[in-house]
Amino acid sequence: MTANTNQIGKAKAKKSRKDRLSFIDFLVFLLPLLFFLILLYGMLGWTVYTSMSAWQGTAPNWEFVGLKWYKMMFSLERFQVAVVNNLKWLIYGVIPTVVFALFIAYLLEIGKIKFAENYIRTLLLYPVAMSFVVTGTIWSWMYQPDKGVINSILRQVGLGFMEGKFISNPQTVTNWLIIIFVWQYLGFSVIILQSSFRTAELQEMVESALIDGASRIRILFQVIIPNIRGGMLILISLLLISALKVFDIVYVVSFGGPGFASDVLAFFMLIATFQQHLVALGAGLGVIIFLLAFIIVIPYTIYAFRKWFE
Amino acid sequence: MRSKNLTITFLVIITLIVLTIVYVLPIYVTVLTSLKTPVEISERQHLIPSATLHFENYQKAFELVFPSLINSTIVAFSATFLSALFGGLGGYYLSRVRTKFARFLFILVGVAMYLPYQVVLIPLVQIMSKTGLALTHYGLIGSYLILNIPLASVFMGTFFMGIPRELEEAAEVDGASRIQIFFRILTPVALPAYASTAIIIFTNVWNEFLLALTLATPTTQTIQVKLAEIKGSFLALYHFQMAAALITLIVPLVFFLALGQYFIRGILAGALKG
Repeated sequence: MTANTNQIGKAKAKKSRKDRLSFIDFLVFLLPLLFFLILLYGMLGWTVYTSMSAWQGTAPNWEFVGLKWYKMMFSLERFQVAVVNNLKWLIYGVIPTVVFALFIAYLLEIGKIKFAENYIRTLLLYPVAMSFVVTGTIWSWMYQPDKGVINSILRQVGLGFMEGKFISNPQTVTNWLIIIFVWQYLGFSVIILQSSFRTAELQEMVESALIDGASRIRILFQVIIPNIRGGMLILISLLLISALKVFDIVYVVSFGGPGFASDVLAFFMLIATFQQHLVALGAGLGVIIFLLAFIIVIPYTIYAFRKWFE
Repeated sequence: MRSKNLTITFLVIITLIVLTIVYVLPIYVTVLTSLKTPVEISERQHLIPSATLHFENYQKAFELVFPSLINSTIVAFSATFLSALFGGLGGYYLSRVRTKFARFLFILVGVAMYLPYQVVLIPLVQIMSKTGLALTHYGLIGSYLILNIPLASVFMGTFFMGIPRELEEAAEVDGASRIQIFFRILTPVALPAYASTAIIIFTNVWNEFLLALTLATPTTQTIQVKLAEIKGSFLALYHFQMAAALITLIVPLVFFLALGQYFIRGILAGALKG
């Protein structure tokens, strides 16, 4: 036993000596990545400092004022609205997407329909190639309350009473924006879940559960879902981070309105910085967005790290 | 058993119908609307094509977006090429070296790859306007590299992890340097991986809006910014908006339809399934 571990230790030491790079190797392989990483984290630090400076107006003012802008930020009504909307985006943008994707991916698995699989993949995935500006433009036309697509069709089929105000209703505007996001990310989620289903171990477990006479639904909840935790974790992290980043849909479809009813942090940051010229406040919003993104991305990074180094 | 299969078939058919409606309808109506006149649009028959199809809408829209289409093409291709190149190199390092420094670096890269651009926006705008880079394509290209090189490194690294080391060891015995091994032996094997990484980054950059909007100057305006501008300034001209949206969409869509398998592998690499 001890001899064995010793040997492994020696082999490891040998390997890591081989792994050492010469100076030239270092320059070629690592320098570009390192350069841009230093730039990125340098600018992140710069943003943090800006958020504690007195910068207001077009010219920089680096005088240190501490947490003054954060205190102001938390008291702003617009900030509170944006935070609530961001939470809506994170919850309503992610949970329905995962549930629908799970349903569709599982149905494709048990339906045994090869022809439908390629069809569904193309059908659901083409929005992944679209930008939020394009989807936003198209869906603005769908939602247009006066002569837009959805209301016109509802009227034609005799469901005129169901006509909606969609994005002109401040109470529901964010939900309508989130639907665009779910529409766009569903195919992406199905692809990731499908590949999680298709591991040899999981297939074996499903087969033996089938032989034991378990129902399809029980298999989904008791065999599949507990065994694709890794895939689910990654998918949820990716969806959360995408939902957090969304500002394009808000910009294009509602411009944060009516009023600032559909504002999100990412959009408010842009307005505060470039329209109201409260640059320090904008930087502070950037820092808040970073902290949220950081929390979301931690599980992803840990998962990736384990996969690479263990 | 039989009734169970029937239920599943029934569910499959319903799902297929619902999904087809939900995913075909928006694009179908967009195409039809883009070929109508404002008068025809106001008739509210959005599911029926107009009697004559007005292709001249596209001609007008194309003329308007052409300069920004060129800008987007230059920026997206350059940023994609450089990200894939540097990401491949960095990814190889991260996938092969097991030092403490490499571990530390991996965490920095992992956090960086999905950061929102908001966290670097203000310094970036400062740098770009101070140096005058904002007036050239280099400014946007360089800015896109900041987040896309970490992304490409993880994607390419995930693929390199799947390539057996024996391939390199034979060459190592022959005394080839690491750089020779990388370019002569690994790069040809990794070409499909490069294609997958490139198509994802190209789509990211082509579709990016925040940086493109805040760094845009008249000479570097990208197609996304132009489309948002058209949507904002031609308020009631939906035929025109839809034509411009479809022109904006066509490039990444063609890549997606032509290289679908690589696209899917790219998505899965993002989910760390190399």
